[in-house]
Amino acid sequence: MTKWKKATVKAPDINAGRSFEVISQTLKNGLQVLLVENHTIPAISINATVLAGARYEPEDRAGLAIMVSNILDEGTKTRSSLEIAEAIEFTGGHLETDASFERVVVAATVLKQDRNIGLELVADLLMNPVFPEEYVVKEKSRTLAEIASAKDRPQVVAGWAFNELVYGKHPLHRPSHGYPETIERITREDLLHFHESVFAPNNALLSIVGDFTVDEILPLVERHFGSWVSRPVSLPHVAKPVRQRERREKRIRMAAQQSNVYLGHLGIERTNPDFYPLQVLDTILGAGAGFTARIPQRLRDELGLAYTTFASITGTAGMDPGRFVAYIGTSPENTKLAIDGLLNEVRRIVAEPVLANELQDAKDFLTGSFVFGFESSAQIARFLIQATVYQLGFDFGEKYPRFIRAVTAEDITRVAKQYLDTENYSLVVAGPTED
Amino acid sequence: MSLPVDSLAFSADVVRRTVLDNGLTVLTRELHASPIVSAMIWYRVGSRNEEFGQTGKSHFLEHMLFKGTDRFGKGEIDLLTLKNGGNNNAFTSHDFTAYYFNFASDRWEIALDIESDRMVNCVFAAEEFEAEKKVVIEELRMGLDSPWGTLLQELDATAYKVHPYRNPVIGWLQDVERATDSEQQAYYHKHYHPANATLVLTGDFETDRALEKISQRFSPIPRQRDLAQSSTLEPPQRGEKRIKVQWRSKVPRIAIAYHVPEIAHPDSYALQVLNLILTEGKTSRLYQRLVEREQSVTFVTAEYAESKDPTLFHIRAEARGDHSPEEIETIIHKELARISAHGATKQELDRAKHQVGAHFVLSRERAVDQAMLLGQVETLYGLSYIDTYLDRVAAVTSDDLSSVCSRYLSETNRTVGYMVPDGSVDDEVEEGDSEGA
Repeated sequence: MTKWKKATVKAPDINAGRSFEVISQTLKNGLQVLLVENHTIPAISINATVLAGARYEPEDRAGLAIMVSNILDEGTKTRSSLEIAEAIEFTGGHLETDASFERVVVAATVLKQDRNIGLELVADLLMNPVFPEEYVVKEKSRTLAEIASAKDRPQVVAGWAFNELVYGKHPLHRPSHGYPETIERITREDLLHFHESVFAPNNALLSIVGDFTVDEILPLVERHFGSWVSRPVSLPHVAKPVRQRERREKRIRMAAQQSNVYLGHLGIERTNPDFYPLQVLDTILGAGAGFTARIPQRLRDELGLAYTTFASITGTAGMDPGRFVAYIGTSPENTKLAIDGLLNEVRRIVAEPVLANELQDAKDFLTGSFVFGFESSAQIARFLIQATVYQLGFDFGEKYPRFIRAVTAEDITRVAKQYLDTENYSLVVAGPTED
Repeated sequence: MSLPVDSLAFSADVVRRTVLDNGLTVLTRELHASPIVSAMIWYRVGSRNEEFGQTGKSHFLEHMLFKGTDRFGKGEIDLLTLKNGGNNNAFTSHDFTAYYFNFASDRWEIALDIESDRMVNCVFAAEEFEAEKKVVIEELRMGLDSPWGTLLQELDATAYKVHPYRNPVIGWLQDVERATDSEQQAYYHKHYHPANATLVLTGDFETDRALEKISQRFSPIPRQRDLAQSSTLEPPQRGEKRIKVQWRSKVPRIAIAYHVPEIAHPDSYALQVLNLILTEGKTSRLYQRLVEREQSVTFVTAEYAESKDPTLFHIRAEARGDHSPEEIETIIHKELARISAHGATKQELDRAKHQVGAHFVLSRERAVDQAMLLGQVETLYGLSYIDTYLDRVAAVTSDDLSSVCSRYLSETNRTVGYMVPDGSVDDEVEEGDSEGA
């Protein structure tokens, strides 16, 4: 059965808006298909999302989900790695595979005339990957080399260490690509098993946005995805992470130009109703337009301590609680000043009400810039997935400005006290020894 | 060979080009799919215009343009952007400095107020200049913490003897530290004026009305003599140059730079196709050879970007396992020799041309992407570049590839850089762990 829904992206107090119709249809095998016609350019974006990622992989096989995604396009039952590459690259389009903690995504963007091969390749990668042994060996060795290379970047090293401190035993403590010893352990059987247990039409979403008509695209979707066989999927339970009740600290010595500081703790889930007041808080504290937020204004513009500094709690919110993180990259001699500066701003927003004009500006920014998330077909395709996973509703564009407009200064103080902690936090500093 | 897209769809015909009496060039392109307007201004000034000992000035100036005018005080440009729910940013290259705002289409005109004002009225308060200098130095240090940033900076400085492309856009630390607000201000007045700029407007507006608004804001700015753009010519390279950069890493890296021509040069189209055939996608020559067959690199990439003056074609790769940069370099030379001798297959050529055509469409979906394209092309060469671009790419033959490969990607014309471990670091040392402290 086809459901028609009209989605509007428009704040009530601006004259500019964009509306589009979302067509949602569930195939017989349980695959939910979300379609939006967008005729801006002669192209289509396809986003196929499997609703399981690295958070479900066993600790001793960390890196499994990303490895599955990286090898999906290295061979299917009917196509070799090179044939897949030839097919997509000849169109000039893109075919990408990726995995996060929550999902595995196969996405393609192709010109309108190549929509059939685009859909066919996405379906083939999802349904028929064979994970050739040769590529398992290659991918393991390439991942190990990439980890060695990433270790050259102090910001990356600090970020890894920060997650280890914040998440404890929860799966998000680890880098999503895993550790050298867990990567060594992964076998082709592990990859096949992961694919078999979570890749199913009833555990996936398919969004397609672009220059087509629904009537012409639905038969193509049915042709390429209709034969995907549904099967029961049971995902392991993931215990909630526990918020730290003490201060944790780690210093990593690296011969670098800058000290990289991460400071923060466990954040919130995307479905938390306080997401919206916290988004306003983020905009005031550490993530507004340009350098308007308090942390960049104070630490960058006034004190000249950094080129990059920010703070956010909503930016990483997902199925699992994200992180409240305040970051700065600064000259080693300024490290202590920078840490104090970050902490002072967090303390201030917890202790003192935000000013009326700060609040109004932040709300105007969030409602006014919302439209920028819906400009390209790929953005709309990602929105359809997010809206479904987090049950935002396709009318989210109409609701969102109301959620933001409703936020008061008292809300900001309440959520600041509830979700930010200036005593029990994790601190990582990676860089040269400070004097 | 035809390309998969109608080149007229992105022809300069749909772009209106207007020149105000004071010399400001205005490009407008209506796009009504989204209620968004992108406003960009491009100045023909970048690190190529910087004199000896004064490197980094163009980039530093870009920072200062957010530090206030008499009308918009410090921080106010960002604040107006925030209040109006927009976003803004700026970037500097060897050839230009560009600023952009994206706003919803019912409030974009604030961008004109800001750009017309800061074209001439920027104030250079000494204390603001010194505070921002610290920020620029932090940005410079951040770049030096990137292995590729460091290696390419050393490589380019070696490849060029005299041309200012030898200097990093952000400048050399020693020059930035010595910069003064008065020198900076003089540089601003020399290069920021209507005849040295292009304003680009793309998105959801009505052209005639927009041009009226633009004229209201910009026409009062007096015309200033446009200084003839002169630049040093780089003498030809007489033989291979080699450098080793020592760094705190265990991963060897290699980068090779070849001198190649500027934008719209007859050979530039074949070089762009060659770039794709070498490293674009898994079917490309160097990916198949180095990543697939030898498994000696984590990645390999070639880069050739449009530029005003003759520039560099880079090939770079990161070694993995026990593979040495010497071994990787030998293979790159062999693959280039094959193309010099035999050109490319029809399939390779067709694929690369499809990639160019599709990229032309797929990468221009948002208003800001189109503003980027138009502003860059106008600044570097002129809009006619777009009109003939796809046809020129379509005309590239296998013989052209072998000809440009042997002519430019040759031993005498190359500079080879290795980044090698300096032996200082084994693994990072962790200290001061504490839990429950």
